[in-house]
Amino acid sequence: MSVIKKIQGFFDSRFDTDTVAHFVDKQAHKRLPPHTGWFHVFGSLSLLLFISQTITGILLLIYYRPTPDEAHKSIQYITGEVQFGWLYRQIHAWGATLMIVGVLLHMIRTFFSGAYKKPRELTWVTGVVLFVVTITFGFTGYLLPWNQIAFWATTVGTESANKVPVIGSWLQYFLRGGEAVTGETLSRFFVVHVIILPWILTGMIGIHLVLMRVNNLATFEAVGEEEPLEPKHGIPFFPVHVAKEGAVAILLLAVLVTLSVVSPWEIGEPADALSTPAHIKPEWYFLPSYQLLKYFEGPYGAIIGIIICSLPFLLLLLWPFLDRGKERRPRKRPIAVAFGLFALLAAVFLGVLGHYSETNITLFGKAYHIDLLGKPHLIVPADSTDTPNTEALSH
Amino acid sequence: MSKPNSPTRRGFLDFLIAACSAITTAALAIPGVLYLWPAAKGGGSQKVEVEGAKSMAIGQSKTVQVGSLAVIVVKQRSGFCAFSAVCTHLGCLVKWDTGKKQFLCPCHAAAFDEKGKVVSGPPPAPLVEVSVKEVGDKIFVSTA
Ligand code: HEM
Ligand code: FES
Repeated sequence: MSVIKKIQGFFDSRFDTDTVAHFVDKQAHKRLPPHTGWFHVFGSLSLLLFISQTITGILLLIYYRPTPDEAHKSIQYITGEVQFGWLYRQIHAWGATLMIVGVLLHMIRTFFSGAYKKPRELTWVTGVVLFVVTITFGFTGYLLPWNQIAFWATTVGTESANKVPVIGSWLQYFLRGGEAVTGETLSRFFVVHVIILPWILTGMIGIHLVLMRVNNLATFEAVGEEEPLEPKHGIPFFPVHVAKEGAVAILLLAVLVTLSVVSPWEIGEPADALSTPAHIKPEWYFLPSYQLLKYFEGPYGAIIGIIICSLPFLLLLLWPFLDRGKERRPRKRPIAVAFGLFALLAAVFLGVLGHYSETNITLFGKAYHIDLLGKPHLIVPADSTDTPNTEALSH
Repeated sequence: MSKPNSPTRRGFLDFLIAACSAITTAALAIPGVLYLWPAAKGGGSQKVEVEGAKSMAIGQSKTVQVGSLAVIVVKQRSGFCAFSAVCTHLGCLVKWDTGKKQFLCPCHAAAFDEKGKVVSGPPPAPLVEVSVKEVGDKIFVSTA
């Protein structure tokens, strides 16, 4: 007891500990609006996943080597030799996917509850930046194991940069660190993935959370008609909301470990710059853009395609300034809600088309070949002529 | 403070400080940007021998690395021909299909004929031809 007193005294005599204690206490017990519930945990879910990515990422860094000769071998070493290495690699790889799911759910929640409206426009804008940074994390991390799929998905992905008007070829050269995807690309992606993005994300999360606290969580009251929150009607952040977040954290841990064990990510074949394997497709979160780009070909098509694919992001960024309606209740703003639902459905639809494009599927007992653009062609058994043969003969 | 010339002097000093800061920032930033720009490696034209080219049968192909470019060499009845193997659509490497006499891209099912022209699929341009030279019994491919 007296030891604790002594330590306290040490700090007390050096700065005003009461102010700090008061601030922490106020933040911990801050009253949230009464309707704060389970839909409000997706933000903390995303944060939790970022913390998990940071910890597992640092652990991977101890054995990972970012060079073309060693990258793939070092991942094999991590999963095969290092104790529990497989677990941390799997949690990092699955965590990446779940983090994107978490951020998406969080965005969907804030969109449909109208929380982005005044005075929280900047909270939404920083959120959109967080979303883009998270996706970039996925894109750069994907290359690091230096396997065939990663190498060629990155080749195709950076090739799309070439289609950007005017600066396209410079942009591509800059991203790749040369003409083609090489060790230079791996170095660049590595630095971006483990140094630059983590700090950008940390800073942006800081701003996002401060803004969130300053304005408190949104209610369903229309803009300008908000009543001040009476403390006795609010929900204390600690312990009530923190308890919900704790439950989510435990569930998340269970899901991460289960996925890691039941459905592990493969390491794949090491990258071979002289041979492209069949069926190169990006990760699921890039599939909608990947599919959309296919419909714009030809000399102008590519440029139009790039513009159309960046439009959704621009729209997201500017949304709070475009939708100036005062209502927050979904039922009272049918246009915004219909637009949001349409965008979601379109993304899912394009993603599904992208996933099944250039494969054969069986529906109601009939086999179809889904072509590049997602159009199904019935496969007539035996001497069929209208099924394109996509199998390249090996030479 | 109320002297008529003091705001001007102040303004001048403000301007001087802003200008010096801008110059210093640029002096720090420009080398940084140039540092990030990929240094050209090798550069110029590159010439590479196609190993074992003489023992290739007609209709056979081989992919070789020339600098950072993958080049596909095909032995046809009329002699050797070579193209950049990089599909002009999104950069996957094409393979030669001996039976169809076409270059096929594994990524979005494009086909190019033996002259590199697009037969089907999304590529906007033909395959880029690469020059082939026979010197004695050796075959060389070179890129500009
Ligand atoms: C914040 C600190 C982070 C560090 C230090 C870090 C570090 C690393 C390292 C060293 C690897 C290579 C090992 C491997 O491939 O398994 C890697 C892979 C990867 N990272 Fe991260 N990472 C971080 C955050 C993230 C985040 C936030 C995401 C995505 C939302 C992400 C997505 C990925 C993906 C998809 C891979 C490839 C996984 C695989 O195939 O094994 N990382 N990361
Ligand atoms: S990259 Fe060759 S068809 Fe798309």
